[in-house]
Amino acid sequence: MPNQPDRFDVIIIGSGAGGAPIAHTLVNAGKSVLVIEKGPLYRPQADDPFGLSDYKRDELISDGPEKRLTIPGLANTGASFYTSHVEPDLNDEPHIYRKAGSGDFATIEGYTCQCVGGGTQHYGGVSLRFSALDFRLRSFNEGRTDLRNDPNGDVKREVRDWPITYDDLEPYYSKAERLIGINGTRENQVKRASEENYQKPLDPNPISDYARVGMLALGMKPYRTPQAVITQNHEPSGRKVGPLGDPAWEGGPKTAYVNRYGDALDFKSNTWVALLRPISKKPNLALWPNCHVTHLECQGSKITKVNLLDPSGRERSFSSKVVVVACSAIESVRLLMLSAETSPEFNSRINHNDLLGKYFLTHCFGGASAVMPGRFDKSLTVDSDWATDFCGSEDFIRSNGLWAGATIYNNTSDQALPIALGRTHGAADLDTLWHGFDNDTSIVGERFRTFLDLEFNRRLSVSFMANQVPQKANRIELHPSVRDKWGRRVAYIIKTWHSHDQYLMDTLARRCRDVLAYGGDNGGGHYPVEGFGGVYLSENALARIANHILGGARFGTIEADSVLDKNCRAWRFDNLYIGDGAFMPTSGSGNPTLTIQANAFRVGDALLQSGLL
Amino acid sequence: MATIVQRDDVYVLNYCTKSLARYNTDARHNYGQYSPDDRRAGIAEAWRFPVIDSYYDGRSYEDSYAFNTATFVLVNADATHDVAVIGTFSDLVTPIPMPRVGDSVYCAVSVAVPKGQVHRYRFVVDGKTTMDPVNPQRVTTPEGTEWSRFFTQYCTDIISFERWELTLLLRLTDHILPFRTIESQRFLNIYLKNIERQSKDSQYARAYRLDQPIGVVNFIDKILAREESHRLTDYKICLELIDRVLRQRDPYEEPAQMPVSMYEDLYNQMAQDSGVQGWDYSRYGSPRYFLQLLRRHTYTGAFSHPKYGGNAGAAGWAYLAHNLTDPLTGALPADDAQTTAFDWSRAFERPLGRSPEYHG
Repeated sequence: MPNQPDRFDVIIIGSGAGGAPIAHTLVNAGKSVLVIEKGPLYRPQADDPFGLSDYKRDELISDGPEKRLTIPGLANTGASFYTSHVEPDLNDEPHIYRKAGSGDFATIEGYTCQCVGGGTQHYGGVSLRFSALDFRLRSFNEGRTDLRNDPNGDVKREVRDWPITYDDLEPYYSKAERLIGINGTRENQVKRASEENYQKPLDPNPISDYARVGMLALGMKPYRTPQAVITQNHEPSGRKVGPLGDPAWEGGPKTAYVNRYGDALDFKSNTWVALLRPISKKPNLALWPNCHVTHLECQGSKITKVNLLDPSGRERSFSSKVVVVACSAIESVRLLMLSAETSPEFNSRINHNDLLGKYFLTHCFGGASAVMPGRFDKSLTVDSDWATDFCGSEDFIRSNGLWAGATIYNNTSDQALPIALGRTHGAADLDTLWHGFDNDTSIVGERFRTFLDLEFNRRLSVSFMANQVPQKANRIELHPSVRDKWGRRVAYIIKTWHSHDQYLMDTLARRCRDVLAYGGDNGGGHYPVEGFGGVYLSENALARIANHILGGARFGTIEADSVLDKNCRAWRFDNLYIGDGAFMPTSGSGNPTLTIQANAFRVGDALLQSGLL
Repeated sequence: MATIVQRDDVYVLNYCTKSLARYNTDARHNYGQYSPDDRRAGIAEAWRFPVIDSYYDGRSYEDSYAFNTATFVLVNADATHDVAVIGTFSDLVTPIPMPRVGDSVYCAVSVAVPKGQVHRYRFVVDGKTTMDPVNPQRVTTPEGTEWSRFFTQYCTDIISFERWELTLLLRLTDHILPFRTIESQRFLNIYLKNIERQSKDSQYARAYRLDQPIGVVNFIDKILAREESHRLTDYKICLELIDRVLRQRDPYEEPAQMPVSMYEDLYNQMAQDSGVQGWDYSRYGSPRYFLQLLRRHTYTGAFSHPKYGGNAGAAGWAYLAHNLTDPLTGALPADDAQTTAFDWSRAFERPLGRSPEYHG
């Protein structure tokens, strides 16, 4: 860390989807900004001094060698785990999930990346907008008597409308799509857009056509899945790609090293290449990777100090007019809870009601998978080709007795690479990697050959992404005993699925199965689909499959009923904001990243107008 | 003298913080590879040191592919010591200075080292040599001196195993792998001979000469020397037990020469876990557990990036590209087929692959 000023206009903790848009907004407005990132600044080829990427096209960098969990006293102590080079080490920095009746499990959510760019380095890039309905689910469910599997009326009691509407956020969706760099198509989406900023999608992988045919046969109007992968030169971030359509150009983003890989080139629109790198030469931005914030301090209603450990592990303190916490929902809540433990004043302000950490959310998620009739080179793909909003319409929701809708899309890159095929064979989630192949000892020799012949480049999966019913008992706490490598208490997550969630997942998984059943035999509806279901059915359903971590500090219009105000400022602080997905009162009917980014751009504007800067 | 590579501070710190910056020094990272009081057990992913990475000479990525960059790091907390490194990758006599990284507690230097090599080194602190306190790899010379060790990518020198263990492992992995059919064997033979002819001097085909089906045994040898050294004991014990079981079953034949059926029977019994006749259960309770470990390593070795020592000449990938049938007709692709089921090489760096832009 070179000599730096010790005071900034704004300190932003976290450089991913929640932090980077705010940094981008404020730096361009001339404010002095410090972005602190716990993980490394891994660089793609374009900005490494040697033109060598820290991210590689290498299956073993993404699902690393075996390690064993050594934290004593957990239900999975002694278990093997396989993490990527940017995921935290489970023995150093775990999240602990409580599973009723089974004890505590150490794990880390999928797509947790400790590096500049955060989860946007590893994500598949699916960049859906939430629907207008997602913002007003309380109003929508008011007075309904047709909800299935909600015997106690939890939906009516627990669900909140967002304090902003789709129309409020819409300009920021457009801004995010423009600045981040997203390809896709708009026609057949139910989400209104005021600007057309999509880049042209690449040709879909031929295997995805089964999904398209199935969607059409079921009356589900498909569109090309919006993805944060550039296919054309992207002026706002200065990124260039090879000429589309030139047969001599063999490169491009279609490598299958997209989902769960950092991109060695500049195609995937992670927040480093899209938002931070373009402003990184400006004198009013400081970006410190490899620095870990331990706690915040306040005097009255003002955050006065950000305490961190530098890359050598030495304590440093810095201050700013505004502090934005954007470490992803669980770690942001944890940082606020750890800060509260050091100071009664901080504690009384952040815990003025009992809502911090409550209403933790992921997504109802699941789908169907089948071996399709043809074999196609799935390595020529990005993550997803076709999506449909069919299950997001009010008609669909009401006629199925659901409380909220979903987006359905196909995953083309699943098991597109050979090791991924083996390690996820029969595995329902990231904690059971290799179990299927290792246990199925009959796959040897000739049967190994027929396994590859049957499975490789023939599998297609169709997934749904849907709102989870908010429950106060689903929450983030600090674990009573497990501590991280700095001796600080780690996050403890207590979470169950509501009976309506299970019903909703069953309902939507059948729709995904239908897409493949109709797509596989050209509209007949009888193609065999051997696997479908919701995430709640998986072996370790609570833990690593929780890819999208949201909520825990919901925003609202009433101080007694929320942690953050409409602009994501903590109610009893003047200058403390949360930038990541913790603000969400409901988790939306699609992958959350674009909404986190759009909201962070909105918070950036709110900060400029706040009078604080 | 080795060529020094000027990697910037950010590059070095990127690899230091996760592993080396910490308050807690409990043996959290000991999965059986360390003795209980070994300080390295408190360090996450200690095997990453020295950092072995790609190299660029400033002129040609393809020529540079013959080298790795090795980055040595030593924590020098009060920054008062002179730190350097000596090793067989250089002239063994002249210490290479390791300057302080910014204002951090780390001292580091990066050097270019040819691929396919094993080296030993020691740090020199204020003129006295010392072991790398982080790197788990250590080696003792015949003269009795202890050194830290590292190896570069595409290495085919055997590190973890004796000759007889290799032979046994070769038979076991051969039983698991899908390359036993006549068509598969024929394909692999032609493919690997072609590679060798095209690149006589290239090390990228060398693993083939070990007479291993696509280098899986070499891959296992390397992963047990580095990333999964906690698993070496499983192999050492189980290979010994397997050798003994086979010799009991046929005292007149060397295990290496025994027919396939002997291995098949043993494999099937191990998969059942109990009742492997002659297995010493007091020494290793679950033969099935070892089989599962061996299965994961075999699969990974056959299809991972060849820099890890398996998938020699990318033969595992080529097999997937050319030996899977057309599901609609059941036919294998024609020898002169223009497209393949898995065009792996377009994504990969030259000279391994043919990507015009990715450098590896």
